[in-house]
Amino acid sequence: MYGGGGQYDGAANANALFGGGGFMPSQSTAVPESSGSGLSKVRTAQTLLPLTVKQIMDAAQSSDDKSNFAVNGVEVSTVRLVGRMLNKVERVTDVAFTLDDGTGRIDVNRWENESSDTKEMADVHDGNYVIVNGGLKGFQGKRHVVAYSVRRVTDFNDVTHHFLHCIHVHLQLTRGKPHVNANTGNPNPANQFRVANNQASVYGNTGGNEVSSLVLSVLNDPAIIHLEHGVTVEYVISQLKNVPENAIRDAIKIHVQDGNIYNTIDDSHYKSVVNG
Amino acid sequence: MDTSTPAPFVNAETLNMFVKRRVRAVVQVQGNEGGMVVGQSTDGHQLTITGVDIPIPVSHFMEVFGIAETNQSIRAEICTDFGPNFGEISHTHGLLICPFVCSTMNY
Repeated sequence: MYGGGGQYDGAANANALFGGGGFMPSQSTAVPESSGSGLSKVRTAQTLLPLTVKQIMDAAQSSDDKSNFAVNGVEVSTVRLVGRMLNKVERVTDVAFTLDDGTGRIDVNRWENESSDTKEMADVHDGNYVIVNGGLKGFQGKRHVVAYSVRRVTDFNDVTHHFLHCIHVHLQLTRGKPHVNANTGNPNPANQFRVANNQASVYGNTGGNEVSSLVLSVLNDPAIIHLEHGVTVEYVISQLKNVPENAIRDAIKIHVQDGNIYNTIDDSHYKSVVNG
Repeated sequence: MDTSTPAPFVNAETLNMFVKRRVRAVVQVQGNEGGMVVGQSTDGHQLTITGVDIPIPVSHFMEVFGIAETNQSIRAEICTDFGPNFGEISHTHGLLICPFVCSTMNY
């Protein structure tokens, strides 16, 4: 029960105090709200992503009301762009221009709060290549950048490096974690690359690399991984009843060649290299 | 720069795929006569760039945005002097950049 105003004992009681209606302190005692549905739970909104203007224009909105964006499933707040400055307009408190990186154009605004900001913007002119770091903002469907740093490019290898960095980050975000795709049931070539020995992805069909994953998951099973001599081929076969015996034996040979498993006391005993 | 048709990076080999379209290339200037620049592309072939309006010294690298007139020449719209020291991206990387530039490019 909540009585007079002096009954507030601490955060745990706040919800009880206000439970009757009226102003509800949203999440005042709860854990921090998760960052939107389906996005990475890691606080990636803190990172600086190198992007092209095309990637920004193609980015999905992470939620309608927050006007935040997501690129490759990662929430984007701070971006780096490299391109040519066009239509520079100097105003009293800010400088606005358009950045054209060859993949598209985007409006950029740079607020000038200190003299160092003004000095920085005085160094760049129309037609110059610039590196822009800033926050990606959306307003009524239109995207623009609020820059906190605009530097003129002096070494043009920076332009090449930026595009390569965009590719690198894109590949990392889309292919870096193959086990994320396991639930979609679509085996793709990226899964041929063995990232870690403890992947236990199980697919519905029995294609080549699925058998390979199944065999490895049997050998990495916590129930037997501590066994000093490992397990026999027959044990693996008995664990995978729906898989042809030949396929299992072949998969075991490939794992030995790749260094994922090794023989122990004799040729029919195998153990995973992963420490139990 | 008309970004309704964003320009993919090309070298001499891939320029063939984008004739009559807007392209972007870096060449090393080997000769400059009256607005016509002869340059070496990133894969070692010669390209001719016409309509160059800025003075660029020989052996400097130059980036050009323009329309590919033939599979060996580009009519420049925008040129930028990249200076004498520029480590160029290879043919392979140039193709990788295409998806980020224009989704309509088929290659």
